[in-house]
Amino acid sequence: MSNQNLLNTYDDDIVRKFLMACLIWAGVAFLVGLIAALQLAYWPLNLNLEWITFGRLRPLHTNAAIFAFAGNAIFAGIYHSSQRLLKTRMFNDTLSAIHFWGWQLIIVAAAITLPLGYTHGKEYAELEWPIDLSITLIWVVFAVNFFGTIAKRKEKHLYVALWFYIATIVTVAVLHIVNSIEIPVSFMKSYPVFAGIQDALVQWWYGHNAVAFFLTTPFLGLMYYYIPKIANRPVYSYRLSIVHFWALVFLYIWAGPHHLLYTALPEWAQTLGMIFSVMLWAPSWGGMINGLLTLRGAWHLLRTEPTIKFLVTAVTFYAMSTFEGPLLSIKSVNALGHYTDWIIGHVHGGALGWNGFLAFGMAYYLVPKLWKTELFSKKLANTHFWIGTTGILLYYISMWAAGITQGLMWRNIDASGRLLYPDFVETVTKIVPLYWVRALGGLFFLTGYLIMMYNITKTIQQGNAAKATETIPTPAHQMGSHEHETGHRKLEGMATVFTVLALIAILVGSVIEIYPTLSLHKYVKQENITSPYTALELAGRDIYIKEGCYVCHSQMIRPMASEVLRYGQPSTLEESMYDRPFQWGSKRTGPDLARVGSKYPNLWHYRHMIDPRTVTPNSIMPNYPWLVQHDTDFLILRKKLSVMKNLGVPYSDAEVSNADIDAQKQAQTIADDLQAQGAPAGLAKKEIVALIAYLQALGQKGVKK
Amino acid sequence: MNNHQSNKEKDEIIKGHEYDGIQEYDNPLPGWWLTTFYGTIIFAALYYVYYTFMGGPTLSQELEAEMKAVPAVQSASADSNMTEDTLAAKFGDQNTIAQGKTVYVAKCLPCHAENGGGLIGPNLTDNHWINGQGTRVGIFKVISTGVTDKGMPAWEQMLKPEELTAVAAFVYSLKGTNVSGGKPPQGQEYK
Repeated sequence: MSNQNLLNTYDDDIVRKFLMACLIWAGVAFLVGLIAALQLAYWPLNLNLEWITFGRLRPLHTNAAIFAFAGNAIFAGIYHSSQRLLKTRMFNDTLSAIHFWGWQLIIVAAAITLPLGYTHGKEYAELEWPIDLSITLIWVVFAVNFFGTIAKRKEKHLYVALWFYIATIVTVAVLHIVNSIEIPVSFMKSYPVFAGIQDALVQWWYGHNAVAFFLTTPFLGLMYYYIPKIANRPVYSYRLSIVHFWALVFLYIWAGPHHLLYTALPEWAQTLGMIFSVMLWAPSWGGMINGLLTLRGAWHLLRTEPTIKFLVTAVTFYAMSTFEGPLLSIKSVNALGHYTDWIIGHVHGGALGWNGFLAFGMAYYLVPKLWKTELFSKKLANTHFWIGTTGILLYYISMWAAGITQGLMWRNIDASGRLLYPDFVETVTKIVPLYWVRALGGLFFLTGYLIMMYNITKTIQQGNAAKATETIPTPAHQMGSHEHETGHRKLEGMATVFTVLALIAILVGSVIEIYPTLSLHKYVKQENITSPYTALELAGRDIYIKEGCYVCHSQMIRPMASEVLRYGQPSTLEESMYDRPFQWGSKRTGPDLARVGSKYPNLWHYRHMIDPRTVTPNSIMPNYPWLVQHDTDFLILRKKLSVMKNLGVPYSDAEVSNADIDAQKQAQTIADDLQAQGAPAGLAKKEIVALIAYLQALGQKGVKK
Repeated sequence: MNNHQSNKEKDEIIKGHEYDGIQEYDNPLPGWWLTTFYGTIIFAALYYVYYTFMGGPTLSQELEAEMKAVPAVQSASADSNMTEDTLAAKFGDQNTIAQGKTVYVAKCLPCHAENGGGLIGPNLTDNHWINGQGTRVGIFKVISTGVTDKGMPAWEQMLKPEELTAVAAFVYSLKGTNVSGGKPPQGQEYK
């Protein structure tokens, strides 16, 4: 094909590439998720292997689901729909290719480094600094390619789907860059510049808005293109599109602190997080209304078109999740649901139902189109639909039951003033049967996926991509037309102004919430100042992060009677003021550890890490036998302390230059104690001793009252 | 569907809005939706003003109120009438000791070993005691209030008084049995 002819066609090759990547990575994400679910139901499946133990596997699952599966789905949909909505080929084919291959390389890098334990210890932002930089670079390539396409568009006005794409690209860039500001210590280790509450606030501003601007806005954009397109019905309400779009992007960014309710975060910020989440309910449902009511007069398609089935169910799950989200943000509901499996259920309702089914619906529509054929089997697609839906419901319902059961058990205080379930493990064994149900749900979902892959493979085999080339038609409205336009309609023709306004909309809430928290000294009470970790404790802390302990253990005692009885006085923000990254956690599969220091003898921890069941019968925690085999890296501690000192941690020059020697001395003391109590000799160099030093320091750094 | 349409839903196609074949209606915002939106905004404003500016309770005030409602655990160990003699009858009762063994297996075994020979915690079967001097009252009090800086929890926060008595009785019954393979003696010897 000559160059001129090429320019007259859409680049669907890149769409096929992203779609295939999406479908292949989906299998990885679902399979790893199923393994992780089974590990929670049956701990021996951790296999005593460090690379696949739950703490390292769970980040692999979340990253694969979000960035590999959902990410590639978004790119496939955006590259496909934007070209058609703008009536032009993508800006630059080379940039498209760099975007595609760069993103896949990042995913491969994640799949290698996460099991090896290279992690920031911040959820959904685990990837270490070289990969962070690559993500930034590739995202910029994507942005240039996308905005370049907008610049050379032949259609004057931007359709609502594009508004959502614009908000996505701009906001994800801001979120990723701010949350990844870190100082490298070595090739694959860095510390964030933010500490304690700052880090917590920035992380959950990022984490929440990763859900908002990576899993919601781009998918709403896809919904706005594919639902009216496939159903061949006009969008229900243009006015609603405008109102709910701007309300959504403006309000969403504020809601992050609802992940930090009842923590040491200043209360004004917690309250903001809650009320903005409540206000998000209607704008979210605006998208649901426009999605579902567009199908008025086309409901019969629900019976005949599996694609429509998937899309409608996706929007329904979106509606459920976006009702449940505000509900869970209400403080008294959050008090029960936070740290439990209710949140896991909530997330999967969104991820499997909304993102999963929308991506599947899109794939069932796109594959026949991009390979110029019919879907191999509608019947199999229907089977996939029902198996998948059953899987999601099993998942959702079992996690509701598990979360609410456990939440109620944690807070139950009897008439004598004692916790009714003082042993945390009792509240775990109670819900293990539900973990099996959840795993079964995952198995259903995965089975549905395999049926889809068979169906899609067959479809591709009978199709022909070369014949699918589409010539770009003449746009309905030429660029140069100067009709008199006012208000939003005028804005839709001004892409740059539109983008700037979207950026401002998301910056307002960001700045108001984050800026005041950066002046940490305002909130730190001088009399509560804590002492920093010793070099060995810091080494142990990095092992805690490496093993992903934060995935199952929080370090944040909430100001509630049941927590005070179980764990001690509520955590203060001074206690984590030097924590880089903060490790407050978001889920308690095991108990809170904020004040675990000096609660148990060293030998208890030693035996517990090797086999938790020797000290806590029925525990579901994995074994960590490699901690007694691996040596602690003492030499790097000087560098680590010097980076911390530069970030403002009050280490003296002597502490920095003697870091390794001090650490070895402290390690020897602990190892001697372990040996005296009956543990083997020669543990001083081992990681387990550094980890014990850290665990024994937790909650012990503040002023003794 | 048309006969179910409200009057406001005119389903008028907006002229000039056509994107790759997709058209748009100019339907108004649904009333219930708008009401919900306004409702949440009003709620949000009132909530924020009350909790941030009008003296609504802070989290620590809420905790304080909640703690007041929780009855203080009656410390069984504070019973000043407790003597070796008042405990002797129960400590000699085989049923109490059997009940105590159940509690022991559930709570104490991980640190003191199944046979009481000690592991993470000290050997309970010799005549050496770090705390409690091996008396009935002494053992009862150590179990109740713990030796928290050594990792022995205050079990009265978790066990009911009769469970404390039972497990103390069981531990007392181990004294001097000197099981084989136990941890070497720690603390002072009390005969």
